[in-house]
Amino acid sequence: MAGITFKNVVKTYDNGVTVVPDLNLEIKDKEFVVLVGPSGCGKSTTLRMIAGLESITDGELYIGDKLMNAVAPKNRNIAMVFQNYALYPHLSVYKNMTFALELAKVPKDEMKKKVQWAAEILGLEPYLDRKPKALSGGQRQRVALGRAMVRDPEVFLLDEPLSNLDAKLRTEMRSQISKLHKRLGTTFVYVTHDQTEAMTMGDRICVMKDGIVQQFDTPQNLYDHPCNLFVAGFIGSPQMNFIDAKVKKTSTGYALCFGDAEVAADRPELASYEGKTVVLGIRPEDLHAEPQFFGKGNVIDAYIDLDEMMGSESYLYLEYAGQKMIARVPARYAKRAEENIQLAIDTETIHLFDKETEKAI
Amino acid sequence: MDKKPSHARTVIAYIVLIILTFLCLFFFYILVINCTRSHQQIQAGFSFLPGSSFSKNFNSVIHDAKLPVLSGIKNSLIVSSCCAVLATYFSALTAYGLYAYDFKLKKPAFIFIMLILVMPTQVSAMGFINVITKMGMINTLYPLILPSVAAPAVFYFMYSYMQSSLPLELVEAARIDGSSEFHTFNRVVLPIMKPALAVQAIFAFVQNWNNYFIPALVLQENSKRTLPILIAMLRSADFLKFDMGKVYMLITIAIVPIIIVYIALSRYIVAGVALGGVKE
Repeated sequence: MAGITFKNVVKTYDNGVTVVPDLNLEIKDKEFVVLVGPSGCGKSTTLRMIAGLESITDGELYIGDKLMNAVAPKNRNIAMVFQNYALYPHLSVYKNMTFALELAKVPKDEMKKKVQWAAEILGLEPYLDRKPKALSGGQRQRVALGRAMVRDPEVFLLDEPLSNLDAKLRTEMRSQISKLHKRLGTTFVYVTHDQTEAMTMGDRICVMKDGIVQQFDTPQNLYDHPCNLFVAGFIGSPQMNFIDAKVKKTSTGYALCFGDAEVAADRPELASYEGKTVVLGIRPEDLHAEPQFFGKGNVIDAYIDLDEMMGSESYLYLEYAGQKMIARVPARYAKRAEENIQLAIDTETIHLFDKETEKAI
Repeated sequence: MDKKPSHARTVIAYIVLIILTFLCLFFFYILVINCTRSHQQIQAGFSFLPGSSFSKNFNSVIHDAKLPVLSGIKNSLIVSSCCAVLATYFSALTAYGLYAYDFKLKKPAFIFIMLILVMPTQVSAMGFINVITKMGMINTLYPLILPSVAAPAVFYFMYSYMQSSLPLELVEAARIDGSSEFHTFNRVVLPIMKPALAVQAIFAFVQNWNNYFIPALVLQENSKRTLPILIAMLRSADFLKFDMGKVYMLITIAIVPIIIVYIALSRYIVAGVALGGVKE
């Protein structure tokens, strides 16, 4: 078992495009790390560098304490699950799973035992003689996982493995992969652009943008304490509301003013922002329609553009003082579109960002 | 918008198809019928019914001392099979090299191969004969077999097929699994290429089976000659002894192996082996 360390890793392609400018990352042994970010953020390239499928232009990559820059993929003791599964179409499920073991000259009995073990965990026993084309998407995905498991790798690399599955199957496979991680006790590196997958599966999440790590932290910390506007906007669904607000000094501290609203913010850090505009971040669930939140002030009267009824709760697309917002309120307190609604802002949970640097204040 | 094709359209489509089928198969029918008829019967005119001279024609072809048909068949089989194997294997290997790897001269290499494609055989024939004469390969089968290693048309077909059917993730998966590059090609890439290999093997086989130009330049001894040369020899032999029945019989014998090869390989064309491993 092994951790993975990136030290000042740079990846520049032959055409001169630098995808990863300077990556420093330490993934601990047995950790489940999710690399997440929008398309083209360098997350897949990072994963492929761990696998050895992309060369490293500069810097050092360690798996365990071994320098891996010049080591061939087959000698890295890793296993990878691809987005499109990459099963060998002409081989049966059994043969797909034993392909690597045969090359490693593992004795037949042991090979059989390993396949049996993996097939049992993944529920693939009835399909061992089938060819991949006779399997459903979910089954193929499990074969791809099984093929990785039998190799007993130090590191599991998963490149958007669930993106080709339907929503229900995705949820099911998500929990199965999490369980598998606990069971195998191996380092998992998982690439996705889906923040739900990232939040539900990762021990720690690495949010990337333009090849740069924005924040590397636990899911809860990412949600509660995003370090910049990008992370705040990327994690959480519906997205956090960003409102331009002016900082004003009051008798008790500071207030953030936008439209008619004045949101009290008792933060000494705001001293240097007095009279300036900052970005106020409010999560949709921190706009409250429940009566117990009223009475402390900080109430806005917003117009509902559109409402989406989700059953237990309702998403309200609001307009207030020329700014668009989304609120997530319990269905019984929600109102319908084209009406006005009073919403209380929970000042304990607001986020503040510098408008220029986009960093959290 | 589910429009059902009208009855008249179906009828017309079938009539056209029947005419096309007839045009394709009618000449084979004439060939097979005529090889059972004697020279006089053939000269008397066409008949839909077979004659009774099949064995006579067959024996006169097989037992003609000046016309080594059996060795001709053997030579043609050797040349065509070797060419089919070499052309498909090495073209697939070349296509794989250009498809799966990134290297500096990749584009020029591709353009160079495409340029060879537009060069007719006749242009380079004199030089080719010169070279093989100096190498001592004149009047052997080697000059007919070895050049098929470089078959640009087959290469292009393989390259296009790989683009549509061989995801590079499979190659990467094999690399991670510990497979060497050559092993990956033979064990992962070739099986996926089976339909393309089968199609090109048929084409290469037929093309070399029918090849007349280069064998006519290279092969000088009767015992080394291939079937198309023997047919031409029979056709242009002594005008007085010219036997049409014998010519038809030799041509019939010449097309049988092609039909067998086609039947043997055609199922691979239909079977889409590459389907299913990768979700599109």
